[in-house]
Amino acid sequence: MHELPQNLVNGLLLGATYGLIAVGYTIVYGIVQLINFAHGEIFMTGAFGALSVYLGLGSGTSMWIAIPLMLIGAIVTSTVIAVLTERLAYRPLRNAPRLAPLITAIGVSITLQQLVWGFYPSAKSPRVFPSLPGGPFHIGGVLIQSADIFVVVAAVISTLFLAYFVRSTRTGRAMQATAQDPDTAKLMGINTDRVIVIAFALGAGFAGIAGVAWGLRYGEIKFDMGFLTGLYAFTAAVLGGIGNIYGAMLGGLVLGLVQNLTAIYIADIPGMSQFSSQSWSSVWAFVILILVLMVRPQGLLGERVADRA
Amino acid sequence: MTDTLQIRPEAAAAPKPAIPLPTAAARAVTAAGAVLTAAAAFLSWTYSSQFPGDLTVTGYPGGLQWITFTGGLLTLLYLLVGYGTPGLRGLAPGGAEGTTVILAVGAAATTWFTLIAISVELGGLANLTTGGWIAGIASLLAVVGALGLPRDGQHPRGHGLGVLLYPGKRPDLRPARPLHAAVEVVAVLLTLAAALGVFAYGVDTSYPELFAGFLILAGFAAWALNRSGDFGRLGEIMQRHRVLASVGAFVAAGLFPFTQTSSNAEANANLGVSILIFAATALGLNIVVGLAGLLDLGYVAFLGVGAYTAALVSGAAGTAFNVQIPFWAAALLGAAVSGIFGVLLGAPTLRVRGDYLAIVTLGFGEIFRIVVQNLDGTSGPNVTNGAIGISNVPDLNIFGFDFGSAHDFGPFSIGRFANYFELMLLFTAIIVLVFARSADSRIGRAWVAIREDETAATAMGINGFRFKLLAFALGATLAGLAGTVFVHVNYSIVPDTFQFAGPTPPNSAFLLAAVVIGGMGTVSGPLVGASLFFLLQAKLSFLHDYQLLLFGITLILFMRFRPEGIIPNRRRQLEFHESQTEGGQEGPTPELRTAEA
Amino acid sequence: MTDTTTATVDNAPAPGTPLLQASNVVMRFGGLTAVNDVSLTVNSGEIIGLIGPNGAGKTTFFNCLTGLYVPTEGTVTYQGKTLPPKPHKVTQAGMARTFQNIRLFHNMTVLENVLVGRHTRTKEGLISAILRGPGYRREEAESRAKAMEYLDFVGLANKAGTLARNLPYGEQRKLEVARALASEPGLLLLDEPTAGMNPQETRATEELVFAVRDRGVAVLVIEHDMRFIFNLCDRVAVLVQGQKLVEGDAATVQGDERVVAAYLGTPYEGNADSTTPEENQ
Ligand SMILES: Nc1ncnc2c1ncn2[C@@H]1O[C@H](COP(=O)(O)OP(=O)(O)OP(=O)(O)O)[C@@H](O)[C@H]1O
Ligand SMILES: [Mg+2]
Repeated sequence: MHELPQNLVNGLLLGATYGLIAVGYTIVYGIVQLINFAHGEIFMTGAFGALSVYLGLGSGTSMWIAIPLMLIGAIVTSTVIAVLTERLAYRPLRNAPRLAPLITAIGVSITLQQLVWGFYPSAKSPRVFPSLPGGPFHIGGVLIQSADIFVVVAAVISTLFLAYFVRSTRTGRAMQATAQDPDTAKLMGINTDRVIVIAFALGAGFAGIAGVAWGLRYGEIKFDMGFLTGLYAFTAAVLGGIGNIYGAMLGGLVLGLVQNLTAIYIADIPGMSQFSSQSWSSVWAFVILILVLMVRPQGLLGERVADRA
Repeated sequence: MTDTLQIRPEAAAAPKPAIPLPTAAARAVTAAGAVLTAAAAFLSWTYSSQFPGDLTVTGYPGGLQWITFTGGLLTLLYLLVGYGTPGLRGLAPGGAEGTTVILAVGAAATTWFTLIAISVELGGLANLTTGGWIAGIASLLAVVGALGLPRDGQHPRGHGLGVLLYPGKRPDLRPARPLHAAVEVVAVLLTLAAALGVFAYGVDTSYPELFAGFLILAGFAAWALNRSGDFGRLGEIMQRHRVLASVGAFVAAGLFPFTQTSSNAEANANLGVSILIFAATALGLNIVVGLAGLLDLGYVAFLGVGAYTAALVSGAAGTAFNVQIPFWAAALLGAAVSGIFGVLLGAPTLRVRGDYLAIVTLGFGEIFRIVVQNLDGTSGPNVTNGAIGISNVPDLNIFGFDFGSAHDFGPFSIGRFANYFELMLLFTAIIVLVFARSADSRIGRAWVAIREDETAATAMGINGFRFKLLAFALGATLAGLAGTVFVHVNYSIVPDTFQFAGPTPPNSAFLLAAVVIGGMGTVSGPLVGASLFFLLQAKLSFLHDYQLLLFGITLILFMRFRPEGIIPNRRRQLEFHESQTEGGQEGPTPELRTAEA
Repeated sequence: MTDTTTATVDNAPAPGTPLLQASNVVMRFGGLTAVNDVSLTVNSGEIIGLIGPNGAGKTTFFNCLTGLYVPTEGTVTYQGKTLPPKPHKVTQAGMARTFQNIRLFHNMTVLENVLVGRHTRTKEGLISAILRGPGYRREEAESRAKAMEYLDFVGLANKAGTLARNLPYGEQRKLEVARALASEPGLLLLDEPTAGMNPQETRATEELVFAVRDRGVAVLVIEHDMRFIFNLCDRVAVLVQGQKLVEGDAATVQGDERVVAAYLGTPYEGNADSTTPEENQ
C-alpha cells in the first residue's frame, strides 16, 4: 500500500530544508557567479554551532529556551565562517579566471569538513542532536513530528523575510542591482564588496537554520552531512533557476517530492521494483538534474541570459 | 635585464645584504659553514641507534646525514660559482648569490630538522652529541655568511611574503646560444639520470624522517635551481632535443625498477606503478581542466568505469559475466565504455553554462559509487557484487609473459609490481603522446580558444559544444584506459575507492589537486603533482588524519599565491596574474617584454 | 585542401549580387526592442557602413546577423541560404566578425589566434592530430603559411610569437581583423574597428578595409567616426533606437536632417516612435 500523503509531507519537509540551503547557492551565484561548493559545509558547521550551544547549556534547560539560542548559535557560526571564507579566500580572487575561485571553493569545502572531523570533540562519528519535545501528531493519517513543524515554520518565516529583505530594503535593492550589472552598480555608488559579503552572510544564515532543522529531524549530525545535502541543494537551486531566490525554494520542494515519490512510484513500473529503494533515491535526484538541464537549462523560474558580445 | 632595471626604479638601487659583512668575510664564512656542514655528516650525532638510520657512527654518514651532506656540498658549489671559479661560471646564469642563500637555508633546514627529530623522538636535546651540535652550528654559519653576500640585483618589490622574496625572483633570461651538440646531449642525459636518481632515492626512503628530510632538501634545491636559471637553460636545451629528451625520459623511467634492489624493491615498484596510474589519469583530467577549462569533479568515476569494465571481463569470480577476454581487448573496451559514459554525461550538460558541469560531474562521481554499490543482487541486479566488490582479479598474461610472477633479466629480478610498472609506463607514454599532440594541434587550439573566450571561439567557427564534448570524452577515455591496469595491479576493486575526497588516492580531489597544483595545461605538471602527492601520503603516514585538511588548505593557498601551479604553463601564468598587473590591456610588463625578445 | 582554401574566392559572386540579406530583423530583450524591423542587404564587393548613436542597437543587429543572438523575428540569408542562428555555422557559411570590445584569445600567441581563425578551413580531427600523418602535417604547414600571410597582410608578421595580450591596443584590433580574415569569409563584419585609435591609426585602418575589399571580401562596418565612414562606404545605413532611419550614399545620409537630429539628440517632432515608421523606407 502506498502511503501517498505521508510521502508528500515527507517530501515537502525534506524539500523545505533543501530550499533553505539552496537560497545560499542562488544568492551568491546570482551576485558573483560562483558556485560556492563550501556552502554545504557552511550548513554543516551551522548544525555543529547549534550543538555546541546546546552542550554549553545546562542539561536541565528547557528546549523552548534552548532552541532559540541554538538557532542563534547556528546562524552566528555559519555566518562568521562564510564571511571569513569570503574575505580570506574568495575576495582576493575576484578578478581571477573562473576556475580559480571554483577550485578555492573546493579547498574550503574540504578544509571545513576536515576541521570539524579532526577537531570537534568526537565528531569522527555522528553526534546526537537534541530533539524537540511533544508529538508525534496524527493529522489525517499523516504522522508529523514536532521537528517537522519547526521545519515548516522556519522555512515559511525565512522565505517571507527574504522576500521582504530583497524587495523592500536598501541593501536588498542594492543586491538586485549588483546581480544585474555589477559594474554599473558600482558606478551608482553601491559598495559591491559589502553587497557580496551580505549575500554570503544571508545565505549562511539560512544554511545555519537548515542545519538546526536537519539536526532536529534526524536526531544526529555528521561532519560530512553537508556534502551530499549541498549537492542536492545546489540541484534544487538549478532546478528552480539559479539566481532566483523563490526558484531555490520551489526547486527544493520539487526535489524533495521527487526523492520521496520515486521511492513509491518507481516500484510500480514493471521490472523496476529493485530500483525503488532509498539507496537509489540520490540516483533519481541526479537524473532529474540532468533532465532539467537538457529540457530547461535556465530552470523552472530562471530567465535565459545571453552573452553580450 | 638592464631595461627591466631602468623601467623599475625601485629595483635599480642594488639592495644591501641582510647582514653587513665585507664580501671576502661573507664568502669565507659561507664556505666554512658549508664545508663543515658537509663534513659533520661524517660525525656521530646521537648516542642512541634508536633513531632510524643510525646516526651514531663516526666516519660514515647514515640516513639523514647523507641529505645534510648533499646540502652542504650544493651550497659550497654555488658559492664557488658565485666566486667566479673557472669552469663553473656558466652554472648560474641568473645569479649565484640568491641561489647560495636558498641552498644554505635548505641545508640548515634539513640539518635542524634532523636534530629536532632526534631530540623529539629520543626525548630531549641531551641526545645530541657534539657532532650534532657542530652540524647545526655550521649550517647556521653558512646561512649567516650567505646573508652577507653581495646581492645580485633582481629583487621584486617586497610585499606579503617578504622573507621568501629575499633570494630574488627567477630572472627572465634571454635564450642562450646553443652549446656544442654533443655537450647538450650529455646535459640531457645527465639531467635525466639525475632525475631518475633523485626520484628513485625518494621512493626508496624507508622511514618518514628520511623522506621528510629528502623532501625539504629537494624542495629547496628545486627552488635554487630555478632561481639560478639552470632549470630555464636546461629547459631550452631539452626543447632543442625534444625527441631525445622525451624518449630518454621514458627510458629513464623504465629503468626505475632496476634501481630498486633493496628488500623494499617490490613495495617501491608498487609505489611506482601507483604513481604512474594516477599521473596518467591526472594527465587525462588535464585535457579537460587545463586545456578546455572544464571543471570535472567526478573524474575518478571514469577511472572506476574502466576498472570495473576490465574486472568484469577478466574472468574474476563473483562477477555477473563469466567471461575472460584478452587484455588488449579489455583495455580498449574499458577505455571505450568510459568514453561512452563521458559522452552520455557530457552531452546534456556541456550545452549549458560551464559551471554546471562541475556540479553535474560531482554528482556523477557520487552516483557512480552508489550505483556500483547497489548492483549487488539485493538493491539491484547483480553486476558488480556491490560493496564487497570484485576480488581475485587474475594477473595478466600477455604473450605468455606472466605479470604475476618475477622474471630475471640478467642480474636483475623484476617482480610483479615492476612488471605492471613497465606496462603502465607504456600506457602513460600513450597518454602523454595523446595529450601533447592533441594540445598542439587544431583541436588543442580550439580547446584553449574555448577556455579563453567561448563566444569569440564560436564566432571563429568552432562548434563549442562539440569540442567540449570531445575534450570531456577524451579525458574519460584516458582515465578508463588507466583504470584497466589499475584493477589488475590491485587484484580487486571496491566501490569505496571512488570517492570525491578521501585520505588515499584515487579520488577526484586528489586528481584535481595533482593537476591544479602540478600545473594546468602542462604535461609535466600533473606528473610532478601526482608523484608528489602520492609519495607524501604514502611516506608520511603519520599525517594520515590530517592529509585531507592539508590538501584543502594547499588548494586554497595555491589558488591565492601560485595559481599557475608548480610547473607553470607560460600562458596560464600570464592569465592568472592578469588582475595583478592592473587591467592588462595597456601592454606588456617590462619583464615579459624582455622574455619575449 | 586547395579547393577549400580558395573556395570563397572562386565562388565570389560578381560584384553587385546580394551576399547578405537581413529582412525584418527584430530583437527584443524583455520589454526592450533593441532592433526593430531592420532590413539590410549587402552586395558582394561593397563596403557598407552602419552608424547610429550609442545604444541604437548596432551591435545587437550584428549579433543577430552572426547567430550570437536568435532574432525574435526576421530572417538572415547569406548567398541565398537562410543562416541558422549558430555562430559557428555562420562563420562556416562565410561571414566573419570582429568585436567592439576586443575579444582575442589573450593568452595565445598572435599566430595561434589566427590559426584558430583558420578553424573552419581546416578539417583534421583528433585521430589525425595524434597520428600526425602526412596529410595532417601538410594541412598544418599550409595553415601556418596562410596564417602568416594574413598577419603579413595586416602588418603583424613580426609579432607572430607574441602573446595577444601583449600587443598594443591598435594592433589587437588588427589582429582581430586578421583572425576573422583567416576564415576566408565573403563578408567581414567590423564592429567599431577604430574605437580608441589615433588619427594615423584610423587612416591605416581605412587602408586596411579598402585592401580587404580589394581581396574580394565585402565589408559591413559599424563606426562612430563619420569621416571614416563617409570616406569608405558605398552605402550607409543609420540606426536610431533600433530602427533603420535612412539608408543611402554618403551625401544622402549627411543631408538628412533626421540623422543630424538623432545625433545631436534633439527630439525631432517630439517623438521618435511616431515619426519613424512611415518614413522608414
Ligand atoms: N543581451 C542583452 N540583454 C539586454 N539588453 C541588451 C542586450 N544586448 C544589448 N542590449 C540593449 O540593447 C540596446 C542596444 O545595444 P547595442 O549594444 O546594440 O548598441 P550599439 O548601437 O552597439 O551602441 P554602441 O554604439 O554604444 O556600441 C541597449 O539598450 C542595450 O542595453
Ligand atoms: Mg555597439
